[in-house]
Amino acid sequence: MLLGLSLLIFVIARVIPGDPARIALGPLASRAQIAALRAQMYLDEPLPVQYAHYVRGVVRGDFGESLYTHRPVTTDLHDLFPATLELVLYAGLLMVAVGVPLGILAASYRDTWVDTLVRLISLGGVVTPAFVWAIVLMLIFAYALGVLPVAGRLSAGAVPPPPVTGLVTIDALLDRNPATYLDFLRHLVLPAVSLALAGVAQAARLTRASMVDVAGRPFIEAARAFGISNARIALKYMLKPSLIPTVTILGLDFAALLGNAFLVEAVFNWPGIARYGVQVILRKDLNAIVAVVIIMGLFFVVINFLIDILVGYLDPRIRLRQADEAA
Amino acid sequence: MKRLAVMAMALVMLVLVIHGPSAGGPREPIVLRIDEVAVAEIDPAKSTDFVDSILFYNLYDTLVAAAPGGKLVPSLAESWTVSPDGLAYAFKIRRGMKFHDGTELTAADVEFSLQRMMALKQGFSYLYDGWVSAVKASGPSTVAITLTRPYGPFLATLVRLGVVNRALVLKNKKDGKFGEFGDYGDAFLSTTDAGSGPYRIKAHNPQQLSVIEKFPGYWQVFAVNAPDEVRVLLSVEAATIRTLMVRREHDVTSQWLPTEIYRALGDTPGIALATERGQSNLFLKINTKRAPTDDLNVRRAMVLGFDYAAVLRLIQINDRVAAGKTARGPIPEGFPGFDPTLPVPKRDVAAAKAALAQAKSKNVELEFGWVAEVPLEEKIALLFQQNMADIGVNVKVVKVPWALMTEKATKPDTTPNIVPIFFAGTYPDPDSFLYSTYHGSAAGSWTSMEWLQSKDVDGLLDRARTTANPDQRLSLYKQAQKMIVDQVPDIYPYEQFAVFAYQEYVTPAFVDPAKAIPVQGAHWNFRLWQVDMAKKKAMGGK
Repeated sequence: MLLGLSLLIFVIARVIPGDPARIALGPLASRAQIAALRAQMYLDEPLPVQYAHYVRGVVRGDFGESLYTHRPVTTDLHDLFPATLELVLYAGLLMVAVGVPLGILAASYRDTWVDTLVRLISLGGVVTPAFVWAIVLMLIFAYALGVLPVAGRLSAGAVPPPPVTGLVTIDALLDRNPATYLDFLRHLVLPAVSLALAGVAQAARLTRASMVDVAGRPFIEAARAFGISNARIALKYMLKPSLIPTVTILGLDFAALLGNAFLVEAVFNWPGIARYGVQVILRKDLNAIVAVVIIMGLFFVVINFLIDILVGYLDPRIRLRQADEAA
Repeated sequence: MKRLAVMAMALVMLVLVIHGPSAGGPREPIVLRIDEVAVAEIDPAKSTDFVDSILFYNLYDTLVAAAPGGKLVPSLAESWTVSPDGLAYAFKIRRGMKFHDGTELTAADVEFSLQRMMALKQGFSYLYDGWVSAVKASGPSTVAITLTRPYGPFLATLVRLGVVNRALVLKNKKDGKFGEFGDYGDAFLSTTDAGSGPYRIKAHNPQQLSVIEKFPGYWQVFAVNAPDEVRVLLSVEAATIRTLMVRREHDVTSQWLPTEIYRALGDTPGIALATERGQSNLFLKINTKRAPTDDLNVRRAMVLGFDYAAVLRLIQINDRVAAGKTARGPIPEGFPGFDPTLPVPKRDVAAAKAALAQAKSKNVELEFGWVAEVPLEEKIALLFQQNMADIGVNVKVVKVPWALMTEKATKPDTTPNIVPIFFAGTYPDPDSFLYSTYHGSAAGSWTSMEWLQSKDVDGLLDRARTTANPDQRLSLYKQAQKMIVDQVPDIYPYEQFAVFAYQEYVTPAFVDPAKAIPVQGAHWNFRLWQVDMAKKKAMGGK
């Protein structure tokens, strides 16, 4: 699948208009300079030959050099991916930790003002793009109130922890540096919330809808007949089956956060791969475009794999069916 | 009682130790924060853009330096001689100058730097391709450069030849295609510096942040309160910069913010606006090889029909600051070669209609392609469309992404009839503006979308290039400009001023117009900037 993806994006990147060598070398490059770089990048060769050169490099772990940063693409990815991964992980956590309880709350108080309020907030979250939230939240909490930082992962004077995983929260904990950890969390609040809001809303709406659907099932009626409390019914008997569609959709939303992070990263000057991805597309940086798409594709595959496992855990019918097929 | 007095004294001492004035202790470092557009290229053989130039002039020294008015003054070279035929240059290198690793800079480093730049074939190497035949160091303080033919702008181009530490580069070379030189330090110099400039790299991420710190061993003096450290934030959103400026968490903005942001910052107490002049012009490039703009009468009609006063209103920031002024020809005022005798363009609708009446085609329709990444150009395009409608010319406005525009510029048939382009001089010589725009050999690049290809203009520009005498050269450039303006390959809407917002506790070097240096990035030599820390604290700077 990844090979097909790499082939597709490789071809697309090369057929869109614009000469990457001309763009990379800048406005005043001579024809000789452009010709030399084109030859170096095999751009004058047929597409299959170019692809063969590319695949040969990738197999050796070499994605080539970025025409945008003039560094190996692997170095760029190594520097930038952890920042986006960390942002996306926290945004995903918020989606689950806030969205699901909101959905439960709305379903539990169905057709009351609580339900109406949650549905209104969810609607606002779903229809408003993340970058609008980013600007609005920045204006409120950084510009007007001045209580949260505006840009970057750490304050200007803060010393970053020694890089082990590239994730500042983990590295700060490994370094036993609570000051850096807290400084990072303060920087994370606005971008993570901006990025997560649409997912939170989606999770709340889906959880509510599923729980309302499950509430009418016979086994819930039976539980009520046994005199089990509403709270216990909601959390023990309704939630697990209700989560199956929510988890499936949240998994897709979670993977999509990687792409959606672009404008949030731009607004909060977050040094991540999403912003890099857009910049390299604008500059027709062929090697970097293909590498970023492959990384995003890989992330999508991994998340979907994990979601399949989680859904199997939540829905015994899937587990049993797979066991039957195996037998 | 006595014990109480001793305890009280000890307590006072303790408080003084903790909170008292730290006379003789290390002072708080002066940090300056600016922002620019990524990506920041720090290799002197590759750097070309504005942010590259800022870092270039702080990390590296050059043989000669540009001074106010575009004059060339000695820098690493304390003197030089030129042979009567203009082919041999001998530079005497100043002794005792140190690279950032403490080793002494010698003529061998100059030789290596020029050879490296020409071998890598990137950045400004085209300025030397085909012109330099040999470079040879003789002894530690003399370097000789031989040219293939006289090259008038040669000395001026040397403001872009940064001298690198030969030993350090070769020590860090990797395998590459340059034989014994490996990759010529290509990978190494993209991550750190090997220069002798007033600042050295402390941290560098080409898309995120570059941090440079003062080099204490520099051979020239620093201004009082010059920054100890400069943090160059890269590609930060306009709204974010505005917030950071208002919170006093940022000191100087880039020149790429929307007018509305400058206006808002200009109205904020403690923040001032400044302009950098004499470096850049806006050209409305007219494709002279594509109908209907291949007709001189159509081009004349457009020049006469354009509303120059309206475009100046468009770039007015507030009642004190504007982002430009009326242009007079292709070279901005203050740049070498500016011709004050060229006419100031003015709108004359009747004369425009009269010129159009003489055009071959009676139904004039043309395409105006504006660069999608520059929103101001859309406003100029719409103004142009409205102005041309007044004289009977139908203009189709097209938004073109930059990547596609560079492709369109390669053929006369695909180059739009009109394209707005901002162009800044990169070395203090008229050649910087005129050759890359109007010489026939430049056709096919975005700098030359006029497709002028005039033998007469080419002849004058070639003669000016190969003439050694500066006065004769200026005279030739004056003739060339007159000839160019007569052929109307461009509309010159205005001479561009770069606008910056800065905290009032900072004194940027370009605030004083008398010290204006007409070379991209040369004002940003932070050695000459000042940050008043007491004022910063009083203003709530963080």
